[in-house]
Amino acid sequence: MDDQACPRCKTTKYRNPSLKLMVNVCGHALCENCVDLLFLKGSGSCPDCNVPLRRSNFRVQLFEDSMVEKEIDIRKRVLKDYNKKEEDFATLREYNDYLEEIETIVYNLCNNIDIVGTNKRIEQYKKDNKEIIMKNKAKIGREELELEEILEIEKQMEDLRRAEISRLEQEAKKQKIREKEALIDELMFAEGDAKDILNTFAQSIAKKEEVDVVPIVPKVTQFSTGVKFSRGSGSQHNVPVIEEGPLYKYEAPIIPDRCGPDPPSIQNIINGGYLHHVRAENETEKAGGYSSTLPCLRALQDAMAGLYHAS
Amino acid sequence: MNEPTLRYEKIDFLGEGQFATVYKARDVKTDKIVAVKKIKIGSRLEAQDGINRTALREIKLLQELEHINLIGLLDVFGQKSNVSLVFDFMDTDLEIIVKDSNIVLTPANVKAYMIMTLKGLEYLHQNWILHRDLKPNNLLINREGILKIGDFGLAKAFGSPTRINTHQVVTRWYRSPELLFGARQYGTGVDMWAVGCILAELLLRVPFLPGESDLDQLSRIFQVFGTPTEENWPGMKGLTDYVQFKLFPPQQLRHIFSAASDDLLQLLESLLALYPPNRCDCTQALQMPYFSNKPAPSVGSKLPMPSNISKIETEKPSLKRKLLDNIDGGSLAKRLQF
Repeated sequence: MDDQACPRCKTTKYRNPSLKLMVNVCGHALCENCVDLLFLKGSGSCPDCNVPLRRSNFRVQLFEDSMVEKEIDIRKRVLKDYNKKEEDFATLREYNDYLEEIETIVYNLCNNIDIVGTNKRIEQYKKDNKEIIMKNKAKIGREELELEEILEIEKQMEDLRRAEISRLEQEAKKQKIREKEALIDELMFAEGDAKDILNTFAQSIAKKEEVDVVPIVPKVTQFSTGVKFSRGSGSQHNVPVIEEGPLYKYEAPIIPDRCGPDPPSIQNIINGGYLHHVRAENETEKAGGYSSTLPCLRALQDAMAGLYHAS
Repeated sequence: MNEPTLRYEKIDFLGEGQFATVYKARDVKTDKIVAVKKIKIGSRLEAQDGINRTALREIKLLQELEHINLIGLLDVFGQKSNVSLVFDFMDTDLEIIVKDSNIVLTPANVKAYMIMTLKGLEYLHQNWILHRDLKPNNLLINREGILKIGDFGLAKAFGSPTRINTHQVVTRWYRSPELLFGARQYGTGVDMWAVGCILAELLLRVPFLPGESDLDQLSRIFQVFGTPTEENWPGMKGLTDYVQFKLFPPQQLRHIFSAASDDLLQLLESLLALYPPNRCDCTQALQMPYFSNKPAPSVGSKLPMPSNISKIETEKPSLKRKLLDNIDGGSLAKRLQF
């Protein structure tokens, strides 16, 4: 680790223990101070390879080999578009070929092989698969959200557990103090032998501890398998969202009493020859969504309604 | 007549439309909260029939209609030369709910909204009335989670063999292709198309086909469903405003609504069929497997509500209206945003 050095100002980890190396997309490292200095304006070019860089894209170098950092960046960028999943392919073979292609592209970009051609390939792929990319992106976003939710719930459970433990601890402490006080009282006022009293107290405490420890343990284990538990409760969390209402069943609206014979149904009108007596719709009217069955039915309804009405 | 203006105590100003101002009021007689729609007198031309036409339509039709999913007209009263309509008070509408990013709409919620809409519309169609202005903004919802179809200003009876209707109905984004082609004789299909657009909007949470002009609207429709041909839409060329469009291939609805289940897509396809006779009617729609399948529709109390239910409907014009104004109002120079 000590031979880490900034290629520009030659500071080493040995001389400046707080040295922080930063990398950008090109994979060349710079120390934090140099980044501050060179990228005062927000953007500039890499002193090593002259690639234009943005300051905001600098991040702390995690791996000693800056090539690894570069590859991470490239991989991130490529996978943003190459985001198909196994279920998007018909056969495993196709999926494997696809993964192979990603690796080739990443390798090419990392090792500066045919960068222009590779970038073109990516562009082409983006164009061809625009829709699927968008869709998968949305899907991934949703999955991430769900994951975040689970994490949040886990965190809450963790907090709860910690609060419970600290509460128990405090109680145990209080209990101990109380016992001590009781012992001193006993020693002060009891008539018996001090040794005996001490012995009986020690025994009762040991017993209590045995008794005490047992109920605590299952509680703790319950929580320490928290990951599973919180997931379980997570799905319980969703229960109120999936409301249990009655399933919908179609019911025809109630028709008020027509005070007359029931008019024929649409099917009857079509088959029963009623349409011979009304003007048939022409093609343009039909194209507009008009049908002569409608006025026919309406006229029949109007004609029959109220026939039974007696003044 | 005991003074009607005394019966309704004004509580709050709710909003102003083209033809009317709406107030929230308390009915002193029943102690119920109601919405009072005061019709503007308007220009001499609009009032030449004595009373504004849209108001007349609302009064005429709503007085005879009664359904849980239709807005109830409780009272009509005149005062001087004004006419006021008293309606059920509704807390919010579907447009606000769709646009509220804090609200999560579950499949069960969507199903519940669709069922209530279609039930109201079924009743309406059964009574030979076309609504002709269905849009999320006109689907009103109260705090019990009951959806009621409102604004009958464009509603009209249908089923007459001779009467010619205007095709300049329905807000553009929800207007069906036959109306855009200028059909003068149409049926329930115009409402069904709008319901399809609303369902799509419930899924996408943005307007499905936000056309910027009537022609743009058609091309947006065809970009999704494919340009119709004389085979799948016979007689199309005879429609008044028919224009030949570039041939777009149809898209898979599955790709647009990636989260929708198969039964839902089936309903959507049936509601948004290009050829009007192929479109389902309300009864057929409600009998589709989507509605009887799981998940069960949410019960009213479980439906989401905007958090600020008390101060909705401020005078601020909605975003959609702003967009529309921009489109219609021509080209104000836009400031560049950096």
